[in-house]
Amino acid sequence: MRITQYLASKLKNFSNLPKEYIERSKKQVYWQTPKEINYLQRTVERKRFRYTTNRSWTGQFRQQNMPGTCRRHVLVEPVEEWSFFRGDRIEVLVGKDKGKQGIVTQVIPERNWVIVEGLNWHYRKVGGEKEFPGIIIKSEAPLHVLKDIRLVDPSDLQGTEFEWRFTEEGEKVRVSMRSGRIIPIPETNNQTHDYKTPNAYIEREKDTPAAVVGEITFQPKLSTFEMDIMEEMGIEEERTPAKSYWY
Amino acid sequence: MSSTLLKCLNLAKSVRTATLKSFLTAPKPQWQVWSSAAALQTPHAQMHTSPPRLDLMEFFDDKKHWSENEVKVGRAWRTEELRIKSNKELHQLWFILLKERNMLLTMEHECNEQMEIFPSPERIDKVKISMKNLETVVRERNKAYHLLETGETGERPQRPVQNAFGIQVNYKSCEHVLPPFMNLKWIKSRNIGFGGRAVNRFLLKYREQLYNAKRKAKNRSRNEVMMILRRNPNFDLEVLRRKFPDVNIDKLRNDDKTRGHFVPKVDS
Repeated sequence: MRITQYLASKLKNFSNLPKEYIERSKKQVYWQTPKEINYLQRTVERKRFRYTTNRSWTGQFRQQNMPGTCRRHVLVEPVEEWSFFRGDRIEVLVGKDKGKQGIVTQVIPERNWVIVEGLNWHYRKVGGEKEFPGIIIKSEAPLHVLKDIRLVDPSDLQGTEFEWRFTEEGEKVRVSMRSGRIIPIPETNNQTHDYKTPNAYIEREKDTPAAVVGEITFQPKLSTFEMDIMEEMGIEEERTPAKSYWY
Repeated sequence: MSSTLLKCLNLAKSVRTATLKSFLTAPKPQWQVWSSAAALQTPHAQMHTSPPRLDLMEFFDDKKHWSENEVKVGRAWRTEELRIKSNKELHQLWFILLKERNMLLTMEHECNEQMEIFPSPERIDKVKISMKNLETVVRERNKAYHLLETGETGERPQRPVQNAFGIQVNYKSCEHVLPPFMNLKWIKSRNIGFGGRAVNRFLLKYREQLYNAKRKAKNRSRNEVMMILRRNPNFDLEVLRRKFPDVNIDKLRNDDKTRGHFVPKVDS
């Protein structure tokens, strides 16, 4: 129990997309050897991506990582245990909103970034053309988790340092270093693009209902899958296979 | 585990849960259910909710999804959910998934042809994950049976062999009528030795490539550590040691390169 908790990050995937899709969508294969026995299998593909606030399965991400282009390497410090989650109240330590508190709305662990609602923002001009000057929108800039922000203690609403500790039940929690209070992981962390809470999920047309999924229909039986299916379908095999050799 | 996490993808095209249940209760062989024409001729036809016969249109998604930007579906089947299902249900689910995969791949191809957006392409991955998990479960069951009965896994035997270039490859055994000592054709085909000057030269260069890849990876991680330490003089060394086990951090710590040619800007 503890080892799994230790290994698994508590950060939930907001997009709720399978890992395979995320990998596939950003893949840029330039060249691949034919799948023949006389080729050593080689793939020439983009290995280094520039991660930004655009998520890796979007068109904007592809635009920023156009095939054939190369962008400067960005140094990302390793973070062992991710500690900032969606819905956390944090205090900004830098910039024009220094000292202000806000709620984390987006987490970008590829760059150790969080985006805080209504803080650290700037004006941005979008949609400008020859005739049309474009419109000004307010957009929040990301903040670095190791340098730019710190968590807020829920007991006195002041910024605090924290550390990960285990409770007596073996649960891993964030504890404020100043007051010793547990800083709970907000419920917003469990929200995904598809549902706010797991119970609020609306079943779609092709979904199997949870009750059907949980139904146990397996009966242990001394037969292989194929033998069982043949029995179900009333297929009987009387022929004996000829002697053969596997090598 | 919460109940909604269990809500998952069935992916039957217009085959609902009701259909699945009717499969279970139906005493008839399965092929009658799959083909709706056959089901209509049987006296129990009204007991079935057989899939509507759409002919080629079964390869296409529901028309209401055509102009959508997003088609929401649940997640893929997990192995632990498939393990509690009977062989018969797994067999049925396989074909449901296969049909769905065909439909999705057709839709993706057609959307590309028509320069349209294919809504929710992650559905393909979800179906593929489900199929992979299902195959894993079936294989587990077969393996258990074979181990119990014969003491072997019953999988196709494989062994590492060296090919004509002296590189280790996996050889998958095949089924033969003749025993190996009588099968001259096979003996000749497998009689691959490697040697000679050309192969040795190739192997030398090949190993050099492998070594260079390893060396470059090591240098890259060392440079990464150097840059991290240069920018963050107070960085936790234990984290770096765990993250980069092949880098000598203590030696780097005293290196000039980790200091940089400026007074370090210490974060306040």
